[in-house]
Amino acid sequence: MRLAKFVKFREEKFGGVLFETRSEKVFTLNPTAAAVVREIGTGATVQEIAERLGSRYDDPSGALEREIAALIADLQQKGLLEDSARG
Amino acid sequence: MAEAAIRDDATQTSVAGRRSEDLGAPLYVAWQVTNECNLACLHCIEESGPGKAFPDELAEREILAVLDQMVALEIPYVSFSGGEPMVHPHFFQMVRHFCSGGGQLKIETNGHYLSPANCERLAALGVKAVQVSLDGASRETFNRMRIRGEFLTAVDGVRNLRAAGVPIEINFSPTHFNVDEIAAAVDLAHELGAYSFYTGRTMYTGNAVKAWRHIGPSEEQYTAYFDTLRSKALEYAGRMRVHFHEMGLLEELRYRLLQPAALLIVLPNGLVKLINALPFVCGDLRTESLAEVWANFQRAWRDPRVARFVDDLADDPRKTSTLHQWVRL
Repeated sequence: MRLAKFVKFREEKFGGVLFETRSEKVFTLNPTAAAVVREIGTGATVQEIAERLGSRYDDPSGALEREIAALIADLQQKGLLEDSARG
Repeated sequence: MAEAAIRDDATQTSVAGRRSEDLGAPLYVAWQVTNECNLACLHCIEESGPGKAFPDELAEREILAVLDQMVALEIPYVSFSGGEPMVHPHFFQMVRHFCSGGGQLKIETNGHYLSPANCERLAALGVKAVQVSLDGASRETFNRMRIRGEFLTAVDGVRNLRAAGVPIEINFSPTHFNVDEIAAAVDLAHELGAYSFYTGRTMYTGNAVKAWRHIGPSEEQYTAYFDTLRSKALEYAGRMRVHFHEMGLLEELRYRLLQPAALLIVLPNGLVKLINALPFVCGDLRTESLAEVWANFQRAWRDPRVARFVDDLADDPRKTSTLHQWVRL
């Protein structure tokens, strides 16, 4: 899992932006989503991202991993992520 | 944990739920790297042509310094246009410098320098796309519009891009004598392997001012033109993006007054414009950093002279003929 070929990520004070340069669409991310995308950039899995962010965020309900998985599904559905195995 | 959230916006370089001033840097820089061009097109908004390079265009050292700033500010998307960018003596050096920094680069060209070797070089350097202007589906209309240009050369150039595996965009500028070819032009773009086709209204500025009676499309022609494009967008959905900007210039500028795009237009001499369709300059990359120019860009859009110019355009649409009389804000 990684950012799709034509997608660029930049951190901002409000969180971050993803710019899909083929369609020229811009997506804004809140700080949590930006943190997830930053971790995706390191090649981390969903579980690894949850572990890393879990140390930073209070997660008494254990919802963190589900929220991360939902965000990643959203990013995939928008074509912003691709499998690392793809060229 | 706060819920992870993403918002999207279909408008180019606008930012959903945010203003461009919330951003630390532009999202897109459109850099006219030279005003020199091998062609002298009837409609050219930059009045480019042979011998038309500005006398004070940025030097190699200055260009590389600007590119370094773009990389450092993580500007995700940059385009090189002109004039004809591929006649710039440092063109490939500039491409390499920006692409090696990780940014995505689009080249906007008339297609006359797209030899197989150059296309392979662009592919190897990792350009995101090359946009070729094909204003017509026939040699007759293309060559009539693009003085000194050759339709067959441009088409061969696009084929060379495809062979090299470079993503292709096609741009089409309408005139009264080529609008009827729009359906065939979209079909040709798809046949040539383009992933995107873009068009809009031809602007009354630059060379077009002098040539308007020879090129200006009528409103009736535009109506049929955009109807055809709507139909073609549906026909090619999922195969090629047919993208067109139907909005008139005045509507576009009124929208931008409220919501400036996170886009800087850099001229060959380093001056930075607010938007192509306005004469206002908000910085000079020869003497100011890109970050300083970006900060001034936000202030400049709120300058009352900008809104006044847009209001005046409503009374006199031909005021666009003065866009090259730059006004520093």
